[in-house]
Amino acid sequence: MDSQIEKLHQQLVDQDISCKSLVQEKLDVLKPNTHNTVNTLLDKMALDLAEKVDAKIASGEPIGLLEGIPFGVKDVYMVQGTKTTASSNLLKHYTSAYTATAIQKLLDAGAIPIVKENCDSFGHGSSSENTIFGAVKNAINPNLVAGGSSGGSAVNVAKDYTVFSIGGDTGGSIRQPAGYNSVYGLKPTYGRISRYGLMAYASSTDCVGPIARSLEDIRIVLNTMSGKDPKDQTTYASVPISKESLSHIKTIKAVGYFKNFIENKAIDPKIKSDFLMTIEKIKANGFEVKPLDFFESETLVSTYYTLAMAETASNLSRLDGTNYGSRVEAENLKETYSVTRSQNFSEETKRRIVGGNQVLSQGFSDEIYLKALAIRDQISENFENDFSSVDIIISPVTPNTPPQIGSSLKDPLAMYLSDAFTVGFSLGQLPTLTVPQGTATGLQITAAKDKDGLVLTFANFLKDMM
Amino acid sequence: MSKIMTVDILSSIKGAQPSKAVNKLFEVIKKANPSHNNAFNSTLNSVASLDHLRDDVVIESSELEKQIIIQNFPKSKNNYLVVSKVIEE
Repeated sequence: MDSQIEKLHQQLVDQDISCKSLVQEKLDVLKPNTHNTVNTLLDKMALDLAEKVDAKIASGEPIGLLEGIPFGVKDVYMVQGTKTTASSNLLKHYTSAYTATAIQKLLDAGAIPIVKENCDSFGHGSSSENTIFGAVKNAINPNLVAGGSSGGSAVNVAKDYTVFSIGGDTGGSIRQPAGYNSVYGLKPTYGRISRYGLMAYASSTDCVGPIARSLEDIRIVLNTMSGKDPKDQTTYASVPISKESLSHIKTIKAVGYFKNFIENKAIDPKIKSDFLMTIEKIKANGFEVKPLDFFESETLVSTYYTLAMAETASNLSRLDGTNYGSRVEAENLKETYSVTRSQNFSEETKRRIVGGNQVLSQGFSDEIYLKALAIRDQISENFENDFSSVDIIISPVTPNTPPQIGSSLKDPLAMYLSDAFTVGFSLGQLPTLTVPQGTATGLQITAAKDKDGLVLTFANFLKDMM
Repeated sequence: MSKIMTVDILSSIKGAQPSKAVNKLFEVIKKANPSHNNAFNSTLNSVASLDHLRDDVVIESSELEKQIIIQNFPKSKNNYLVVSKVIEE
């Protein structure tokens, strides 16, 4: 599919449509909330911004490519003056006091936020069922989960309710719902986009990224949001990815894939055979394809969750109802903290906070937390070695197709293991893109750090090849 | 003398217990044998360099930001923001 952004931009410039009518049309389809994707509609803000764009066009002023383009925002990003709930009871009345850097950059480019989107509470989940706003329904089959945690964002894009949406990816939260709903979803290199104003889950793997129906829209939005930000000192200055570079497929010679992902007993046979067929097609196009060794799924998932839980226990310790949030008064300060958190966190969030405090506590940190950090280092080294012999690694996004709504939260371990193919790339902080081709839940394309452009180039080739 | 703190106290969550599902993940880590144990010999390189630390300056919040922060405060009485009773042990 061609760029929706470019198409709408041209229609606005040619005055075939007004910005106000475009925004209103999107608000109208979001309002019935058919798939539980909407936490808050930003109707007044969006229509005010749209009027300004129309006035600019009417006065003959040029507009930028993103100017007047409606987009969605996962409800974990601060947008000043809007409700930012993290789909949680604790923050259901919380209003953002400031705007996240990534969202501000889109606002500065003239894009218009129209909706705060449903997700797993604080990013804790892989199905977008862990939310006070109702389970998000899959865009293709509403009886199935949307994936998570950025489920509302992926569904809105897939249903054309938003032109693009901004998700957040800690262990697969953009890539997995993108795969479940057949759209593109990019987790950029860690640090390429500022995390300032993103509600922290696990700070060492949290990434901001775009979800869209075309590769070109991913590129446009990625370039707009990228860059060093003094408010997030893990960011770095990156070079924008040019449209032309996406055709330079000759820069890619060798492609790798992880043997053990495909030999995994848990993988759906159809996903496996479709993936292997894609490998054959890539070979037939003249690429060298190398099977690679990697860590077992259980090790990847356990390492990721150990570190993510430790980080979330720390990050969410500030949520005690003192300065903001739904405080439940009790007999003294400690009791107030405890009752507030007990009553307002979901079972899944509590499970992760408790797990995090377990591994950080004296006696356990050496045996579990520090060991998990050591394994993470090994995973990073493994990737470094792999990228000395291949340019790209491809893998399935998920071992299985999306489950029925209602089944994931009953079996947390199964939910954690369903992230087996996404978490490794998060631990490696690598750029990884889900493309809606190759298997029923898409393919992941990964490259070395800061090679986000190479990922898009290979995706562009795959789009034409498939 | 150190005091043993249970996870419900550490987490400030009443009655919290370790989860069986999460413990299974931790068992995998306990059994793993990383080839080196120097957890801080990291290849992650996402730390901020001393040369790139931002200036230590106070940035005044806008009036709107201050107003929203006050609005988010859970409880107020006679224009004062009310906190819970503090106890000392």
